[in-house]
Amino acid sequence: MRPAVRPRFGFGFDKGMNEGETIFHEEFTVRGGDFANAGDASCRIRRILKDIGVDADIIRRVAIASYEAEMNVVMYAKSGIMMLDVTSVQILIKVEDQGQGIENIELAMQPGFSTATPEMREMGFGAGMGLPNIKKNSDVFDIKSELGSGTRLKIIIHLNGKHA
Amino acid sequence: MPENRIYHSIKIDVQHCIGCVACMKACPTKAIRVRKRRAIINYDRCIDCGECLRVCPCNAVVSLTTSAADLSRFKYKVALPSPVLYSQFGQNTMPNTVLAALEETGFDRVYDEAVICEMTSLAIEEYLVNRKGAGPTISTTCPVVVRLIQRLFPDLCSLIVPIEPPREIAAKNLRAEISKKLDIPDNEIGIIHITSCPAKMVSINQPESMSKSYLNGAVSIRDIFNQIMMKIKKPSLHGIMDPQWSSSSIGINWAITGGETNCLKTSNTIAVSGVYDTIRILGDVESGRLKKINYLECMICPDGCVGGPLAVENRFIAKSNIIRLIRHLGNRRVVDAGYVRKLYKDGFFSFEHAVAPRPFTPLDNNRDMAIKKFKMKEQIMKKLPGINCGVCGAPDCETLAEDIAREAARLEECIFLAAT
Repeated sequence: MRPAVRPRFGFGFDKGMNEGETIFHEEFTVRGGDFANAGDASCRIRRILKDIGVDADIIRRVAIASYEAEMNVVMYAKSGIMMLDVTSVQILIKVEDQGQGIENIELAMQPGFSTATPEMREMGFGAGMGLPNIKKNSDVFDIKSELGSGTRLKIIIHLNGKHA
Repeated sequence: MPENRIYHSIKIDVQHCIGCVACMKACPTKAIRVRKRRAIINYDRCIDCGECLRVCPCNAVVSLTTSAADLSRFKYKVALPSPVLYSQFGQNTMPNTVLAALEETGFDRVYDEAVICEMTSLAIEEYLVNRKGAGPTISTTCPVVVRLIQRLFPDLCSLIVPIEPPREIAAKNLRAEISKKLDIPDNEIGIIHITSCPAKMVSINQPESMSKSYLNGAVSIRDIFNQIMMKIKKPSLHGIMDPQWSSSSIGINWAITGGETNCLKTSNTIAVSGVYDTIRILGDVESGRLKKINYLECMICPDGCVGGPLAVENRFIAKSNIIRLIRHLGNRRVVDAGYVRKLYKDGFFSFEHAVAPRPFTPLDNNRDMAIKKFKMKEQIMKKLPGINCGVCGAPDCETLAEDIAREAARLEECIFLAAT
């Protein structure tokens, strides 16, 4: 497990967090460009969900959403923090990165749109499905970005309810 | 819904166990604990992979396979050897010699599985062509992989290719043919798989995709090796070698890792062998990393079925023998693709029902309690030394922490904490 680091800037994502009783909180630092360790945080998230007995189809959705979110930091940012909050009814993942930011979020949400380099594509990343995939697998999806400073992502997946 | 009890084919022989922790350390699902100098399998976590069997220095891990006495209850006995058997008797023993010798050991009939392997490859191809979704599908051949997915990766159950493995297809075919041609009642026909795999008994006794297996048992290659060897030595046997006899070299591929994918036309495949690498690649599937792959072949045993713990020949020699045999036979195909396509459309190869998830027992059935216990486990882990010595009887500090959180162990069992 990597050392937890407090984020340097807050984003006011705290509302809607107190759903459910017990909260398990964990933070991961994700280093930009560190492809060798990419996926560790989402792997850990999956492990936690399996240990607490979350349904298979929900694990699958969290697995995809969290991995894509983690990979976005690895591919496009200098570094980022991934925060995980698990309650008995939902899982909240927040990702805050310090990176180039997204110029046009609407465009970035279009399936197939990507700014990935040819090298990243060669490795099988950058198909332009990252953000659309995260959104597809989330119950709540919120993204904010500031060009030149970073991107903030908030994902909520309900642990009991049915996904639309 | 599957019943809760899970059948297992591996057990510890307490008479021979010395409590050396070798199996406990090797277990990929942390299913073994050592208590009072004896290994104990926690069957709730065992996937019957046979890693413990492989590492035990005292032969104290035994697998339940079919014995000669079990066979006697069948009037008509058919041996269905895995192509692995062809690799066990040296470089120059051809499959037909092995099959003839096997028949002589007391079977009414032997059947070459390789042909069915080739058929199954064609059926898988048909499935892949007609499949609507994208991303990887996973092979069903290795029964441990199926169990591993059900238990450790329950969210991937829907990716399992819904086509029965060759052993079941072959047995299904034989059963119908024999009862029709020879007029023998179904319960008197014994179709026995000859295998290097300790887990085939699991898929026979508790099939996950059908109500009842078409096979009646599995005999370990270790158990029958000597008998076959004796018959092979008989010179008269070579006289009955049938020059017309032709095995499918495409099908023989299935004995080794990459063999199954080799038989497919698509090259968007990945072949993995070994339990730890299989777990790793399934993790990648879970992340959605293998989107461009159509077919994922996973074999729990290193190098594929030739690396099965119940084989006799070491797996490197066995693999070399298989490769040599395939080269010798050329890229021979013996199955009519059109016929397979028709059978496929009739559902001959298909699962009766989908493989259902059977996730491991969570830390607690109450989600709030489970989260609390997870937190507790994390806190306990911070107290433990983290050197994973295994003296407490758990394979590593994390597992001890989990056991404590589950109230199955105490913190004092750590000798480092007890000493301070």
